[in-house]
Amino acid sequence: MSTFYRKLLVWSILFGIVVIGVWSSLAERLPPADFTFANESEVKSIDPALVTGQPEGRIAYALFDGLVRNDPETLEPLPGIAKRWEISDDKLTYKMFLRDDARWSDGSPVTAQDFHYSWRRLLNPRTAAEYAYQGWYFKNGRRYSQGGSGITPGDSVEVELNLPPGALNTLRGQVLRGELVRVVEREKDTRDYVVRIEGTEVCFRPTDDVEASERLPDSDCRWCRQVLLDFREVGIEVIDDFTLKIQLEHPTPYLLGLLGFYPLFPVNRHCLETHGQPAWTKAENLVNNGPFRMQFRRLRDRIRLVKNEHYWNQAAVQLQVIDALAVESLTTALNLYFTDKVDWITDVPAPALRVLMAADPPRQDLNPAPFLCSYFYLFNTTRKPLTDPRVRQALSLALDRAEICSRLMPAGEPPSLSLVPPGIPGWEQQRAAAENNDEARRLLAEAGYPEGKGFPRLEILTNTQESHQAISELIRKQWQRELGISVRTRNEEWGAYNSSLHQGKYDIARRGWGADYSDPNTFVELFTTDSEQNSTGWSNPRFDQLVVEATRETDHRRRFEILTEAERIVLDELPLLPIYSYHSKNMVKPHVRGFYNNARDDHPLWAIRVDRQSRGPNEFQRGSR
Amino acid sequence: MIGFMVRRLFWMALTLWVVFSVSFFLMRSVPGGPFDRERVLEPEIEANLKKRYHLDKPLVEQYFIELGKVVSGDLGYSFKIGDYTVNEIIQQGLPISVALGLLALAFATILGLVAGVTSAVLRGSWSDLFLRLAATIGIALPNFMIAGVSILLFVFIYPVFPAAGWGDFDQLVLPSLCLGAPYAASIARIARTSMLDVLKQDHIRTARAKGVGPLRLIVVHALRGALLPVVSFLGPAVAGILTGSLVVEQIFAIPGLGSHFVQAALQRDYTLAMGLVLLYTVLLFVMNWIVDVSYALLDPRVELK
Repeated sequence: MSTFYRKLLVWSILFGIVVIGVWSSLAERLPPADFTFANESEVKSIDPALVTGQPEGRIAYALFDGLVRNDPETLEPLPGIAKRWEISDDKLTYKMFLRDDARWSDGSPVTAQDFHYSWRRLLNPRTAAEYAYQGWYFKNGRRYSQGGSGITPGDSVEVELNLPPGALNTLRGQVLRGELVRVVEREKDTRDYVVRIEGTEVCFRPTDDVEASERLPDSDCRWCRQVLLDFREVGIEVIDDFTLKIQLEHPTPYLLGLLGFYPLFPVNRHCLETHGQPAWTKAENLVNNGPFRMQFRRLRDRIRLVKNEHYWNQAAVQLQVIDALAVESLTTALNLYFTDKVDWITDVPAPALRVLMAADPPRQDLNPAPFLCSYFYLFNTTRKPLTDPRVRQALSLALDRAEICSRLMPAGEPPSLSLVPPGIPGWEQQRAAAENNDEARRLLAEAGYPEGKGFPRLEILTNTQESHQAISELIRKQWQRELGISVRTRNEEWGAYNSSLHQGKYDIARRGWGADYSDPNTFVELFTTDSEQNSTGWSNPRFDQLVVEATRETDHRRRFEILTEAERIVLDELPLLPIYSYHSKNMVKPHVRGFYNNARDDHPLWAIRVDRQSRGPNEFQRGSR
Repeated sequence: MIGFMVRRLFWMALTLWVVFSVSFFLMRSVPGGPFDRERVLEPEIEANLKKRYHLDKPLVEQYFIELGKVVSGDLGYSFKIGDYTVNEIIQQGLPISVALGLLALAFATILGLVAGVTSAVLRGSWSDLFLRLAATIGIALPNFMIAGVSILLFVFIYPVFPAAGWGDFDQLVLPSLCLGAPYAASIARIARTSMLDVLKQDHIRTARAKGVGPLRLIVVHALRGALLPVVSFLGPAVAGILTGSLVVEQIFAIPGLGSHFVQAALQRDYTLAMGLVLLYTVLLFVMNWIVDVSYALLDPRVELK
């Protein structure tokens, strides 16, 4: 008996192995894509309202289309779904005229209502969109998205009633409109809202659908999901199917650029309300309006995009099939590039980059270029001795930025003494005081630390990444060498690092900031007193005032002057330590056309085509170093 | 036998519960949460998000809510791949990891047996020395080293295999090779030892005296006996390969459970990490159980208690 079992076991294992081997070799073979690129990591979602980050952006731009498209080279706004627009003299009202031939992938027209729906969804607190603030430029957009905190008695409000639990999560409850009479604080974070609706005062208490269905409130209030500013107060108005009127909080010169940024792209209401969130994002359910459709998504493998035959501008789209690979490891992506499996990689690991940059003759397919992104350290100005501007100044003066860049930044990133990186047309670059070791020592002595004596042991916090750690180590050595002070370095994983940063649990912390739109404001406003990003504790009333003034200014030149003055203040007082400005590190195969280096390192897929016969430099190589 | 099964099931449930509890509290005790990001969220928005994932409730209450869901088989939505539930992610990833693992195992068994038997038959020769050295190296080297060297060799110097990816058969060769290498080495050593044992036994001498040819002698008469210890090694090897593919999957960009697990841990994807930890626990348990049962089937002296 035992031999029988033994044989049976051995043979069944062998048989199983063979079956699996055969099965896996027969797994469906994909026809190759026209264009394949390494999209860094698995995207969090394809919902344009919910995502942030470059890999997500590439997919969102491929699947969805906004009122405006950005030119792939200059990033200038081009007509998109809006074929033209009118801007009022005070720059506060935009009238957008939509083309009537834009279609969703189910064939239905893209209308002004789609934008109304999608922007309300973006701003709705229940959507919890990270990029909701991209809708704050609209009049009252911020107040709407702040929910209960955004309203005060006297406002017209809307009350969203509960739905039965289990209702599709994309549906809105019944909406009642009225005037907010008062807010009753009950305990921390719970409030009742008394609203006058058609002459009667009703008290509403927000809760979730489950509680609302299970019991009655313990007072004479009614349950509701939320109480918000009446959306009709928000500056988004549908004139007719193809006309949309936008009113702004402030004149916003970069608004058109923002309309071409994916958080403001429309989603299809019918699709969302049929399938619910997140089922609507599945390839078989998705209805989208962009240049491509999603054929399938295999987690941590690829998203396959195919040309959207319903896209209004499909004549301009050359690629039929695109693979966006989710390759987490930079080295793996580079291997794929070298073996011709991908046509574009977005980043190159530092050791390899050093070798590739030194190649002779220079590689044509690697062409680092500046884009709008700054690398700097934040000083926690609430901690001694960083409270003293002389100390911050001394730390900046004693840095050898040229050494940092030449030793650690292989893509030729330039040293920076500015907050706003170079590359914004018409912007005159401001610089902090130039490096000077003697002056640094003098300032430090003046602050009470001659030759670094008695200087507390500060700590540099970075997020865990080799290159950040290398820079902090080198800076540690430079300060030790020039000022005689010793600092420590510490690194934390991304989530923990962000939480330390926001809670101000650091002395000196690394920060990178990329532009959402090509305007100095995106950098300058980081340091206002009430900015969520300003965790330095630094605050300057004059600076805050300038930033506000800039938002109200309609004259372009005057506005830049105000922002220049504001940046000057930051660079004189140095709540930050500028280090360098970024270079992109794309590698692009010579047969790829329509790929341009640009100021935000954004490369829309609709502009890309592949011409394997082409000789000579492509657009990427031509704009070369 | 039935008592054994029931007891095992009970222990598995208990272990799963302990694993769940420990992971739950460990994951929530590290600094930084899933909603810490570059942009600070509006307090209202963050409160909403937390409510959606029950993170606004006291820890103990969260624990029981989660436990209840896990028991009912609902592992929830992934925090970081928001379009998918953990069950869907596992559904996509598990077959890939299993296919990769079995291929690695097949490779390990074949290579290990050939090397082990050759080494035993040619005992004391240079080939024996070389094979034993190779086996020692195979056990000692971590598989990312093997992966690096084999990419250099077979992707760049002799371009026979693709560098990464999943889907075509040629994409499976290198990763399964790297994943299986340490197991091949172990199998080679086990096979060599047991083969040497068997070759000394009387029935081999008898067979040789009766004029059986050397090939037939080894393959038919000796190998049969030598196979048993190898087979009993396969059980733990399957478990080890299935749960040990993290690094190899990363290097070769294979969309299996290993890649998911590494990223879930790095990105604080609580729900996905939890789901995978529990799945790995079940896998290990089931594999060990199969090994125990197969011991009893292979060797009548073993009794299942």
